[in-house]
Amino acid sequence: MKIEWTKAAMGRRGFLKGATALGASAALPMGLANQAFASDDGVLRVRAYGDAQNMDPAHSVGVVEEEVHSSIYNKLIQYKPGREWDWQLDAASMIEQVDPTHIKFALRDDIGYTNGHGAMTAEDVKFSFERIIADATESPNKPDMGPLSHVDVTGEREGTIVLKEPFAPLWSIALPYITGNIVSKTATEAAGGRIGANPVAESGPYLRASWSPKEKTVLKRNPDWKGDAPEWDTIEILPIDDENTAEIAFEAGELDFTRVSLGSVARYRDGVPNGGKLLEYPSLYYTWLGMNLDHPKLQNQKLRQAIQHAIDVPTVLEAAYFGAVEPSTGIIAPGLAGNRAKSMVPPQANFEKAAALLAESGETNVTLTLDTLNKTTFTSAAQVIQATLAQIGITVEINVLESGAFWASGDNPDLQLVLNRFSMAPDSSYATAWFTSAQAGIWNWERFRSEEFDTLHAQASQEVDTAKRAQMYERAQDLMEESGAYRFLTHEATPVIHSSRVAPALRPDGLALLRYFGKA
Amino acid sequence: MEKSRSELGQIVVGVSRDPLGLMGLIIVGTIVFCAIFAALIVPYDPVGMNIKDRLQGPSFSHLLGTDQLGRDTFSRVIMGGQVALKVALPAVFGAMAIGLTLGMIAGYGPKWLDNLLMLFFDTIRSFPTVMFALAVVALVGPSLQTVVVVVMATSIPTYGRVARTQTLTLRNSEFILAERSMGASMKRILGVHMLPNIIGVLAVLAAMDIPTVIALEAGLSFLGLGVKPPTPSWGALLKDGYSLIRQTPWLVVGGGLPIILATLGFTFLGESLRDVVDPKLRKQR
Repeated sequence: MKIEWTKAAMGRRGFLKGATALGASAALPMGLANQAFASDDGVLRVRAYGDAQNMDPAHSVGVVEEEVHSSIYNKLIQYKPGREWDWQLDAASMIEQVDPTHIKFALRDDIGYTNGHGAMTAEDVKFSFERIIADATESPNKPDMGPLSHVDVTGEREGTIVLKEPFAPLWSIALPYITGNIVSKTATEAAGGRIGANPVAESGPYLRASWSPKEKTVLKRNPDWKGDAPEWDTIEILPIDDENTAEIAFEAGELDFTRVSLGSVARYRDGVPNGGKLLEYPSLYYTWLGMNLDHPKLQNQKLRQAIQHAIDVPTVLEAAYFGAVEPSTGIIAPGLAGNRAKSMVPPQANFEKAAALLAESGETNVTLTLDTLNKTTFTSAAQVIQATLAQIGITVEINVLESGAFWASGDNPDLQLVLNRFSMAPDSSYATAWFTSAQAGIWNWERFRSEEFDTLHAQASQEVDTAKRAQMYERAQDLMEESGAYRFLTHEATPVIHSSRVAPALRPDGLALLRYFGKA
Repeated sequence: MEKSRSELGQIVVGVSRDPLGLMGLIIVGTIVFCAIFAALIVPYDPVGMNIKDRLQGPSFSHLLGTDQLGRDTFSRVIMGGQVALKVALPAVFGAMAIGLTLGMIAGYGPKWLDNLLMLFFDTIRSFPTVMFALAVVALVGPSLQTVVVVVMATSIPTYGRVARTQTLTLRNSEFILAERSMGASMKRILGVHMLPNIIGVLAVLAAMDIPTVIALEAGLSFLGLGVKPPTPSWGALLKDGYSLIRQTPWLVVGGGLPIILATLGFTFLGESLRDVVDPKLRKQR
């Protein structure tokens, strides 16, 4: 075939015309996107901050994969969407704590697995829970199951969960979160006991239709689902790490739901583009300034207390979080048992008291290092802390570390001050677990050691009386603060935006429960 | 002395006659001037916080606006230039001095020493610069000195190899052979006869390397691994600007523009210098 190129010759005018046409065509997709945004195509597009690569709940690495798992699998109970922590029945038609170590359950009779793996039975529950605690599985989520002993199967769809000792987080973490997903015994065994990147059998209201790594996970309505029908035919989960990028995608009509940065909250409070809405949820995460009690420079309790009183938490939060978050009173967030009404050291700095404590300590020319992650939020907070401590004569040198080096700091004996942030599951025991004496130098970077704290942590996780539990956790946080090793900063917040066609279903900490997302 | 002064004058005149060279000279001159007199130029304390005035746009009181802690961006850009040159100049000239010495020894010395030094150069060059920098920073912690040492260490082979090649070319030239036959010492041959013939090429290389080093420092600071806060740095400005781009674009402008200008300025100057120093290229033009 011979191609004639002679007509393709382009002059200046031709070029300008072409460029204009190209510019117009470039603008077209945006218009089309906005059209798609407005029209109801039955597709819900949500952003996840990572890619769900593993379909095995035993090896789930957290929220990103749980968003998919909780849509394609069932649990005995699921978190109830709303502002208060609560659960609702899912695969269980009945569940009852008969005594502190025995929980009876009965399964619905209308849940089946795909790929011909039959109806969900109590054997599937037993298999799913016991494989989490089995050493052979090497599940990183084993601690979430706490003192689970085994599951007794008493009928085709009935059974009893047996604990070695009482375990309050069973209802807030073990059953409604990652470890609660019930997989098919026959399908998993046929796959060699381990599920990989592809689910071997699904049972939830959605099926994973496709997965393009780092690009998109597509969930489609399960045609055999007999429970309440999900409102969206298709859910597309787009892994977008950066919140700024996600915000731009939302504003361009490419997303229906995303978490947004705290710095954007003020702007979205004035209005969300395309008729969308901003929802502000508290987060469970906790951020604090820690002091290494084993470090020779921080042996003096008066010095540590001086540091506690010299840090002005509202200023730190205003600078680093744009005032979009509240000061925290400890490591346990509001809504969970043991959240303290107020901290022992008020959030506002008291420079006179700090200076007096420093004078009492007898320490002079104090120079300390402050380690923090290389994120703008943390470096901003660190610089404010540096500036405020300078006011009482304490010199702080900031060490900014990339995440690999930072998260390996636990056993660093040279660690002095550290600006830290831990994630959290919705049970108070999850917070105190990292500050026991056994965790010193592992996750307890402050090397805080208190026998009373350790006892409280152990007893509280077995205490089923919520009021007593709360008292124990409050006392535990008092002990942390009294040591002078902690200046609690904030639990942060989870601001999310959604398009006008979506009725989001969220946990009280703002995390998405996709299977319950509705249409506005 | 008179002769060298006139040679320098010729180079400056040669560069000034080239439009790109002149532009490079002006940009580099401005950056160097601002860096030297930064303390006099900045209108505000570059680390002084004023949180209630944060993320402001450009105005007469803040020419490039303010950052997330209410610090004047213009003042931080100017002081950032000082940091960039504090890293770039010692790193580049240190690498040039060491590379030149080792390269001349490799080129003029015995074969076994040449092989040993080449192995040393190749070993260093086998490390990707950024990865090497990240590893060192992770081990010893971020600081201005760390960045200088890392950049210097990774740049030595480049200068060493060029110096070695030039030395090998010159060692058998007639005027060197004549010096040798007259009993001139190795020190004299290398220092008096070879060095002036090599230094020009390396100076051009250094001028063109400076923006690379500035970009590397900015890159490390962008990753939060360069100079320590609150010291201003173009890379740190860019990083904060990237994080806060939905709030204000001016931090990205403040961090990015000087890096672009420095890169263009030093590159133009380096290319022009090369043309002036290398007579062959001058004839081609």
